[in-house]
Amino acid sequence: MSPTSSGGAAPPDAPVLSVRDLAVSFGAGRVVRGIDFDVFPGEVLGIVGESGSGKSVTALAISGLLDASANVSGSVRFAGLEITTANPEDLRHMRGVDVGMIFQDPTTTLNPVLTIGRQVTEGQVAHRLISAEAADAQAEALLREVDIPDPAARIGQFPHQFSGGMRQRAVIAMAMAGHKKLIIADEPTTALDVTVQAQVLAVLARRRAETGAAVILITHDLGVVAEVADRVAVMYAGRIVETGTVDAIFRTPRHPYTSGLLRSLPRLDTVAERLQPIDGQPPIASRLPSGCAFHPRCAIGRERPECQTEPVLRDIAPGASVACHFPQSEAATLPARIASEARGARGAPLLEIEDLRVHFPIRSRLLRRRIGWVRAVDGVNLTVHAGETVGLVGESGCGKTTTGRAIMGLLPASGGRIRFDGEDITGLPRSELRRIRRQMQYVFQDPFASLNPIRTAGEIVAEPLRIHGLYDQMGGDIYIGGLFEKVGLSAAMMGRLPRQFSGGQKQRIGIARALALQPRLLILDEPVAALDVSIQAQIVNLLQDLQRELGLAYLFVAHDLSVVRHICDRVAVMYLGRIVEESTRDALYATPVHPYTQSLLSAVPLPDPALRNARRRIVLRGEIPSPARPPTGCTFHPRCFRATARCAAEAPVFASYPGLPSSVACHFPGAAE
Amino acid sequence: MTGYVLRRLLQLLPVLLLASLGVWAMVFAVPGSPVGALVGENATPEQIRETVARLGLDRPVLEQYWFWLLSALHGDLGLSIQSREPVAMLIAERIPATIQLGLSSTIVGLVFGIPVAIISALSPRGWLDRALSGWSALALGVPTFWLGILLILLFAVTLNWLPSVSAFVPVWLDPWGAVVNTLLPALTLGIYVSGIFARFLRAALLGELKADYVRTARSKGLRERDVIGRHVMRNALLPFVTVVGLMTASFIGGTVVTEAVFTYPGIGRLLIQAIDARDYPLIQGCIMFILVIYVLMNVMVDVLYAYIDPRIDYG
Repeated sequence: MSPTSSGGAAPPDAPVLSVRDLAVSFGAGRVVRGIDFDVFPGEVLGIVGESGSGKSVTALAISGLLDASANVSGSVRFAGLEITTANPEDLRHMRGVDVGMIFQDPTTTLNPVLTIGRQVTEGQVAHRLISAEAADAQAEALLREVDIPDPAARIGQFPHQFSGGMRQRAVIAMAMAGHKKLIIADEPTTALDVTVQAQVLAVLARRRAETGAAVILITHDLGVVAEVADRVAVMYAGRIVETGTVDAIFRTPRHPYTSGLLRSLPRLDTVAERLQPIDGQPPIASRLPSGCAFHPRCAIGRERPECQTEPVLRDIAPGASVACHFPQSEAATLPARIASEARGARGAPLLEIEDLRVHFPIRSRLLRRRIGWVRAVDGVNLTVHAGETVGLVGESGCGKTTTGRAIMGLLPASGGRIRFDGEDITGLPRSELRRIRRQMQYVFQDPFASLNPIRTAGEIVAEPLRIHGLYDQMGGDIYIGGLFEKVGLSAAMMGRLPRQFSGGQKQRIGIARALALQPRLLILDEPVAALDVSIQAQIVNLLQDLQRELGLAYLFVAHDLSVVRHICDRVAVMYLGRIVEESTRDALYATPVHPYTQSLLSAVPLPDPALRNARRRIVLRGEIPSPARPPTGCTFHPRCFRATARCAAEAPVFASYPGLPSSVACHFPGAAE
Repeated sequence: MTGYVLRRLLQLLPVLLLASLGVWAMVFAVPGSPVGALVGENATPEQIRETVARLGLDRPVLEQYWFWLLSALHGDLGLSIQSREPVAMLIAERIPATIQLGLSSTIVGLVFGIPVAIISALSPRGWLDRALSGWSALALGVPTFWLGILLILLFAVTLNWLPSVSAFVPVWLDPWGAVVNTLLPALTLGIYVSGIFARFLRAALLGELKADYVRTARSKGLRERDVIGRHVMRNALLPFVTVVGLMTASFIGGTVVTEAVFTYPGIGRLLIQAIDARDYPLIQGCIMFILVIYVLMNVMVDVLYAYIDPRIDYG
């Protein structure tokens, strides 16, 4: 991405940062257990790992920001300073002058009660790099550098007046102000939508090239790493298990964990019949397995006696190292992906949605008069057949979750029809709706918040049965135990509380609860978005198995286009309360015709560094507008690269047009040039 | 901003109307007839008939309320039974004294409470935090009348530095005299409330210190005192001003015990005297005044909120 480092060029000799045998523990939890790495000027080192791998703690240790309860040993040397033993003043100086940090969630990273301008420059002012009088001009210049329009007016605004993407760009401006030698970016785009992620990554890359800073990019997202990093370090259970150039890591992963991660990843560019998850759960820092921490989940080392001792990280090639007794050779890499055909729709539709509208009133402050509408869902048509999976995709705020909730009757529809199994269920009385709802169940995104913490797992799964008075009729505890087995848990776990389960197991409980009433349709609202990659694959496979076994229909609401491609038969793309394109999965991914779908797909980072420069990328302007004040005409026109005057004036009709594989709402549909 | 304040004041009208109905209806909750309460136990039947007619108590209930409300709106809260003086005047006389003591107590509470909270929050669960938490618990736990007596014993009796009886000396006429006379009751109330302030602010600070923006501020290499002073404090103030507002309202609304201990001429003592004498018009007046103070203080807190937190839109 920068001229000095494209393609992982050989790094110059003196590293900016040298980490040796760094270990961090909190009480009995050994979160980082002896890691070594160097970062060289101008390079991007990607540190990849799942939650609990110790990657964020490593970032905090490097910047000396760990709190007093952390026990740190080993050495972190930055520009002649030993960070683990440096006095607070030197650390403060280092952070203010030489090291910039970008954190995950720009909404909480910025202080809500201070102006953006002040926050962007206060570090420089505090370290006398600029004078207080020059701060405003400097803030304006910095915001301009990260493409924030009208920076002079923006510096006086507060974070809540910025959109998510603008906030993260402001954080980048802040972190990269001055002449930083090292930027530590901890999941910098995880909280952002994919089109905004593309904008932010582009700004980050450009500013990096301009400043020549080295970057440590910490992420769980292999696509982002493949797109941005020069070198990669893979972390597992507090250790680095593999390092290498980005090409080597993705093409010939040596550690079974690295190759397992790559295999478990659904891909945007191909379709596998079945994902290959890594068995089991990532370990907890205070209860690590003996020997190699990965061996209980490892397909190679599980039974071998060698794996009872922890392997050291050793060099296997120039610039590549691996911590494994049995590093894989090139032959043992990724299996060929077998393209699987999406199934076509058949039979009578189970769920039919016609012109669904969900509008929320905006009320004036004093008299609570209605002064407008938020058109969260504004005319959605959708059909789901028995046994079929329909994906509803779109960025945050597009109305996909609201659509799902309105179908369930959790939100009142303002207009349109919802038919279930041929019966119109809009406006049914409550008791009738209860009967229908037995056949439609909902799985929530956040398995941590959607289970009542003081009920046992068994009670949680049984609750729908008790509500409908069917508990004994369905077979009581024996039936519940059977549901536990069906979702890959053991009936012996029924007495446990939610906090005793891992994230993936909690989502299994959520699925078991949804299955309890033997529904015909599941509305899955981002069911894997909160899970780690290796766990995500387990849940995706479970959902596919259950569908085959029980003939379930799924409405799969998601923002992750790769997961959607893997699991769905048909896909509908939503933008600002409307469906803009709908087609069979294969047609939609092969030849998207709506400009929005095209830009969405092109913005998804692919876990393949070879495609980094080969792919044409459409970076959209701006961000999704507020549904309270949608643009005129086609609501996508202000961000569209094909828009003409007609698009601003006239809303396109959603229909299937001759010669196009998709139904689409666009005046100028067609394959991307 | 002005529009916001006006609108908030406008929204008070229904609240105050409802409150006035409650205060007015209080007379009916008195054992025996309200007239008995109004004219006293030893009134002759003549006097009772005369009062009933004068107050319009023979007319329909709603009309009576309307009549009372109209007079109240004109500043006429009736005559005190005891002193035969207008209730409104009796209360008005006490207002400056009450406000002076109330505000001084709050200031003392802040002077003690804020540093205690900051020091505690900087080393949570350290020995200093524990010691200061003990101080807060003590400040809250010691009854104010006892603390007041102890302070009198120490400063007035033993050291003879301050008067044991606190007269009201307006601060704008004699600042030094005001300090001398207000210090002991203000200390009594201030020490007590500093325990509350310290606990609330400590909890708010600890909550804010865990926030991501604090890590961001530190990552910019700010000094810890700037991290606290510029970033954390303002966010922690949001829940804190509510408590400060409520406590200040309660002080201005009268602090019965402390005023009694120091024989300070505030609303609290007026109310107690009125209750002792079953002086219903005066009780009604005092309670109405206290209600208005609470409601106004709530508006002030909301306005402060909007000032502190830019996310609150007062447009």
